[in-house]
Amino acid sequence: MTSTVNSERVLRELAGLWASFGKPGNADEGAAHAGVLRACTMTLVVAADDSPEWPALGETIAALMPEHPARAIPIRLTGPGGRALSSRVFSQCWMPFGQRRQVCCEQVEIAASDAALADLPSLVSPLAVPDLPVVFWCRSSRLAGMPEFDALAAMARKTIVDSQGLPLGGVARLAARGTAVGDLAWTRTTRWRETLSQVFENRHNLARLGTLTDLSVAHSAPMANTSAYMAAWISNAIPNLKISIAPDARCDSLRVTLAGGGFRVELERHADRLVVTVDGLAHCANLPRLDDYSQMREELGILRRDPVFDAALARALRLAYASG
Amino acid sequence: MGRNPPCYFGSTMPTDNPFQDPLRFERQVPECVVVIFGANGDLTRRKLMPALYRLAYDRRLAAGFAVVGISRTPLSDDRFRAGMLDAVKRFSEDTTFDADVWRSFAEGLFYVAGDINDAGLYQRLAARLAEIESARQTGGSVMFYLSTQPSQYASAARGLGAAGLGKGEGWRRLVVEKPFGQDLASARELSDGLHEVFDESGVYRIDHYLGKETVQNILAFRFGNGIFEPLWNRRYVEHVQIAAAESIGVEGRGAYYQETGALADMIQNHLLQVMATIAMEPSASFHATSVRDERSKLLRSIRSMTSDEIRRDSVPGQYGPARIGGQDVPGFRAEPGVRPDSQTDTYAAATFFVENWRWAGVPFYVRTGKRLPKRVTEIAIRFNPAPLAIFGSGDGDRSPNLLIVRIQPEEGISLKFLSKRPGSGMDLRPVSMDFNYGSSFGERSPSAYETLLVDAMIGDPTLYTRQDMVEASWSVVEPIRNMWRETRFDFPNYDAGSWGPAAADEMLARRGHLWRRP
Repeated sequence: MTSTVNSERVLRELAGLWASFGKPGNADEGAAHAGVLRACTMTLVVAADDSPEWPALGETIAALMPEHPARAIPIRLTGPGGRALSSRVFSQCWMPFGQRRQVCCEQVEIAASDAALADLPSLVSPLAVPDLPVVFWCRSSRLAGMPEFDALAAMARKTIVDSQGLPLGGVARLAARGTAVGDLAWTRTTRWRETLSQVFENRHNLARLGTLTDLSVAHSAPMANTSAYMAAWISNAIPNLKISIAPDARCDSLRVTLAGGGFRVELERHADRLVVTVDGLAHCANLPRLDDYSQMREELGILRRDPVFDAALARALRLAYASG
Repeated sequence: MGRNPPCYFGSTMPTDNPFQDPLRFERQVPECVVVIFGANGDLTRRKLMPALYRLAYDRRLAAGFAVVGISRTPLSDDRFRAGMLDAVKRFSEDTTFDADVWRSFAEGLFYVAGDINDAGLYQRLAARLAEIESARQTGGSVMFYLSTQPSQYASAARGLGAAGLGKGEGWRRLVVEKPFGQDLASARELSDGLHEVFDESGVYRIDHYLGKETVQNILAFRFGNGIFEPLWNRRYVEHVQIAAAESIGVEGRGAYYQETGALADMIQNHLLQVMATIAMEPSASFHATSVRDERSKLLRSIRSMTSDEIRRDSVPGQYGPARIGGQDVPGFRAEPGVRPDSQTDTYAAATFFVENWRWAGVPFYVRTGKRLPKRVTEIAIRFNPAPLAIFGSGDGDRSPNLLIVRIQPEEGISLKFLSKRPGSGMDLRPVSMDFNYGSSFGERSPSAYETLLVDAMIGDPTLYTRQDMVEASWSVVEPIRNMWRETRFDFPNYDAGSWGPAAADEMLARRGHLWRRP
């Protein structure tokens, strides 16, 4: 592993990559006849600890590219040891179904030891594609506590973290800086929230909203922050609810119950289905398990501040404070 | 985009759903019942039911959502459900079938047998709707979808009205499929018939072309960007070509097609709507009324042709037999159900002019046809060449700038311009800058019917055709159609697998233009 990486050299390598695609007879890329189409809508910086999961992260990034084509800059955090920084440039191409030309995105993979972390911001900044948004996805809770995290987050229009297992205060501090923040623990509420919202598209149900008095959110152990967000979001919409949030070992992710005035709405996961029951009438919808790809796909579609998330985050913190 | 009409429940009740999150949620369909007339027909099986199932799969439908199928064949609810299950499995193109989701969806499927002209049908329907509303809390909102013969539209509307189904506790809407009349007079007569029961605001005339993502993207492209609109006028645009080519023939619809023809089947509705979208003035907002007003205004600005102009600026065609890809392909007159001396146009081309300050003098060449070399729908905007050729012979053919909006397949937008070839000389060659819809946004696009059904159920008519638009389109097309009907053409005049009759090329050549080969 080399100890320095020059951003200009990386950019030259990227230019060389595209020039090679344009050369006739580049049969290796399967693009000799029709050329390739370069697609880019953002720069996606992803920081993650070096682990056996690293290859899976590469697959997630590859899966995201057709929907959110980007110059991807995955940063592998190799941990303690001597100062080491290296990079490699490559492309990811795919042939859209029924089409004649490959679509390609570029990737700059960087490996950095802890001792080289200070060099990351000055290396990554010139690699960002001009005039397009930068999104920073931090998958390393270790990096989140370091000053380099702030520097990388500062260059991004949106920073995405996963607060699962962490206090929500860290997310709140990030949001307080004024940039857009995504928390995958919140993203996991979307399908639940959408389904609950659908219940109140019905005028009769909407008219009974004011009769609801009790909210209970049961959750599996890893879904603590997600359940806090869910409860906060509901209580923003229906003030003065009596709220109970509690772990439940029998619960498969979440179980949300709203009740009062003889009206009862319950949402619960059963395997890959979400069953919503309104006053005894049950309805089943598809609810696949969310992986990193599905969650990032949603977050990358929103590159500005999300006022509903901001309000839920603020409320979740107040609820946590109130409950001690 | 239009929103749900606000609901009124009294001063102490909430009027809007406080759980909405438009940034993350798909548009949600409020509780309602969809009543489909012609429930055993092809459209229901191939398009409507797969689209509704997909919406259920995507959690877009409310829990109490219900469908009532109506057709003459006596069927139980269970038999109807079994038929629709078969349709969903066969015709859902990119949707995973999920047995549990289907079971939940199928619980909301019901069937009423009867004849559209029988008053008793509507009484039975009213009773069934009352039961469903009570059991599934649909709030009295009903969308009637007429997937039947157009000749039955008015009697269905009258039957609904007589049974008191045109109004109710919730909203009532009527969706009708094209053709919207056979000419201007019958289009007005049809509208009058529908309006006996439903206000124009409750009538949704569906044109599935407008539901296509790329047609909607024309509006985003034109009015979401600042750089194109200044060029979008007679000063910079030389001409516009709109082409909708199909490689297939009439595919067993010969008898129907024989009475319709390409001009009425495609240009009167789909292509004039596309033309209106590409040429309309910017609307003040994306509110349905505003967008539809501008489309309508554009359609009314299309010059109605005189007899001389029709002879010069319109070309009908009919395909003859040919051998394509090693297979003998019959001519139109040899298709099942078609008369051997049929004068039906399977190809139609016309030059339209828009009489307003923006487009005066700019020809809009529109063509459509069956059995053309490939299936493609696209719009090409050809800009004026640079005023001076300063590069001498290096200018090449001085290829003009072309902006191409591809609607299908490979949806996208391309801009063609000249660039210097690498080397010592000043040699220019055309290059293409491409935006590919599927590449930049690889996510699944909803089908046109999914989009349009949701729009109708939430009460957003932006992508639906209004009566004045239908009438304006007929005003443009009817004189051409009348003259073509009075003329005996020497058909067939193009071979299957070719790009249409030579006369269509001559129509453009008279103005020094050429059809693009898409």
